[in-house]
Amino acid sequence: MQNKKSAKGELTFVGSLFLLGLIIAITTKVQEMPHLNLTVSPRLFPYAFSIALMGLSLVLFINILRGDIAEPEGLEGSTGSEKTDLKVFGIVFLSLLAFAVLIEPVGFATAGTATFVGVTIAFDYKKYLRAALVGFIFCFLIYFTFTHYLHVQLPAGIFKGIV
Amino acid sequence: MNNVTNLLHGFQSALTLSNLLFGLLGTFLGTLVGVLPGIGPALAIALLLPITYTVGPASALIMFAAIYYGAMYGGSTTSILLNTPGESGSVITALEGNKMARAGKAGAALATAAIGSFVAGLIATAILAFAAPSIADMAIKVGSADYVALMLMAFMTVSTLLGSSQIRGFIALTIGLIMGLVGADLQSGLTRLTFGYGAAQDGIETVTVIVSIFALGEALYIASRFKDAGWKIIPMKGRALMSREDWKRSWKPWLRGTFIGFPLGVIPAGGSEVPTFLSYAAEKNLSKYPEEFGKGAIEGVAGPEAANNANAAGALVPLLALGLPTSATAAVILVAFQTYQIQPGPTLFLTNGALIWTLIASLFIGNTLLLVLNLPLVRVWVQLLKVPRHFLFAGIVVFALLGAYALNTAMFDLQVALAIGVLGFLFRRYGMPITPLILGLILGPNLELQFRRAIQISAGDYSTLWATPLSKFLYLGIIAVAVGPAILKYVKKRKASL
Repeated sequence: MQNKKSAKGELTFVGSLFLLGLIIAITTKVQEMPHLNLTVSPRLFPYAFSIALMGLSLVLFINILRGDIAEPEGLEGSTGSEKTDLKVFGIVFLSLLAFAVLIEPVGFATAGTATFVGVTIAFDYKKYLRAALVGFIFCFLIYFTFTHYLHVQLPAGIFKGIV
Repeated sequence: MNNVTNLLHGFQSALTLSNLLFGLLGTFLGTLVGVLPGIGPALAIALLLPITYTVGPASALIMFAAIYYGAMYGGSTTSILLNTPGESGSVITALEGNKMARAGKAGAALATAAIGSFVAGLIATAILAFAAPSIADMAIKVGSADYVALMLMAFMTVSTLLGSSQIRGFIALTIGLIMGLVGADLQSGLTRLTFGYGAAQDGIETVTVIVSIFALGEALYIASRFKDAGWKIIPMKGRALMSREDWKRSWKPWLRGTFIGFPLGVIPAGGSEVPTFLSYAAEKNLSKYPEEFGKGAIEGVAGPEAANNANAAGALVPLLALGLPTSATAAVILVAFQTYQIQPGPTLFLTNGALIWTLIASLFIGNTLLLVLNLPLVRVWVQLLKVPRHFLFAGIVVFALLGAYALNTAMFDLQVALAIGVLGFLFRRYGMPITPLILGLILGPNLELQFRRAIQISAGDYSTLWATPLSKFLYLGIIAVAVGPAILKYVKKRKASL
């Protein structure tokens, strides 16, 4: 049962890789070329790689149908779960997305803290306040080190003028 | 100046206080990432790439090289005490090392691993010091067509030997090659595969891909499938010391491991799994105590650990002399060179000789520091495993996002990071190896450049690609790697059916 579900997921993934190859090939074909006399066309490699991706995806697709289902990567020394917990996946993904959405308006330290707390929640950590405190200290130290010692400019956001 | 004089000058530069401190920091961080499962040296170096903005090339590269070596040491600690290899090269060590630890011989297992790594590191670095400049000298004569063949050889071996299946390795490689095409083509000015997205004109940042595929992909994967997995540490009795008998049984495997590991690092043979496995097989065959294998034979730790470290040094030869990385970590070190506008390759010893000799000298120093630091501090490293996983992964994720954003402070890089993070999850879920993707991304643009150069020089004659003896030899090698496993499988099948 699990194998069947896993095969379906892999077929979808491999099918979308085939589609990606097709899109790249079509995009390359319809693209307007510069009027230059080039020995090797700039289209050659995109064509070659897109055809390779389509061909390889097709072969893998057939192999999966014939029973060559992928072995998911194991965690060293652990047996782990047989299926993906989509809720947890969603929490981690939203935490990553939060960073991208928040970094410019509220600054690195705040956005980083939000992401930090989100990831700890995904790992079933229930002490939210402690996670927020540890996350904030961690992100603030990174912010301070990077902006003051490595001269990497990071958005201060709500702490602008304070640090 | 000969190599010995150059090396002595290298020591002179490496032994400055600041370089020593960076080396020390690198050994500490390297051991740390080696000990902690889930973070490898490639990710650690990628996350630390922002230091290249403010730190000079010598100090930064010394630190990165020390991380590379340190991770090999750290990996053995977790293999032995946890049966949990911190990095792929330590998988074989876990077979015998953990059994030794269970039998109360953790100290001897840790000592033979550390001393073996030291011996192998020392010998392999010495060979590197003398081999790399000679290879670079020869490589100056290597033309564009030969480079194309060399890169194809690297792609073929890495894609074939890594992961659960060849086809998945090739798909990973092709995705990496496609990523390398995104952006403006430097020769024609044509914008490729940006899908009208202006921010993509400059291409996809290698660092963004590396930090997101390793760190974000790993966090998504571990959290959604292994969040409840724990670590069980075997308590270590006494100190990390070896008896006279242990020394007697270890020294030959150390030397054999070194001479198996080093050449397999030089040729793109797909990382440290193959040499460690070969060393284990050799020790099992040559041992006077074959019955102990599988139950805690010290030779099964000594040989593979030496092979692992020698392999790491060997991988620096094609990186420095040819500009060809043969592992994910070497690929990230190549990016570090490039951030300083230094292109590793045949002319590196001429254009940046002082820097490279400093780096090589620092490898000797780092190797010694690792032995001095690791054996007495082994209990401290084990304590690190008590860092709660939720905080560990939360910290890694924030650091990775920072690494992706800090490069250009661009939202586009963060969007790419998110997409690549999900791709990293899918790769792990569907058994696709990551190293071929990284190699394709980094070497893809160079492949296209050398290909075009070769065809332009020959005025459009494609037969130039296989016109030289070296390219002919390499293409034969590619065919052997491509069809070799299938032939072996067929022969095995026939034997079994007889």
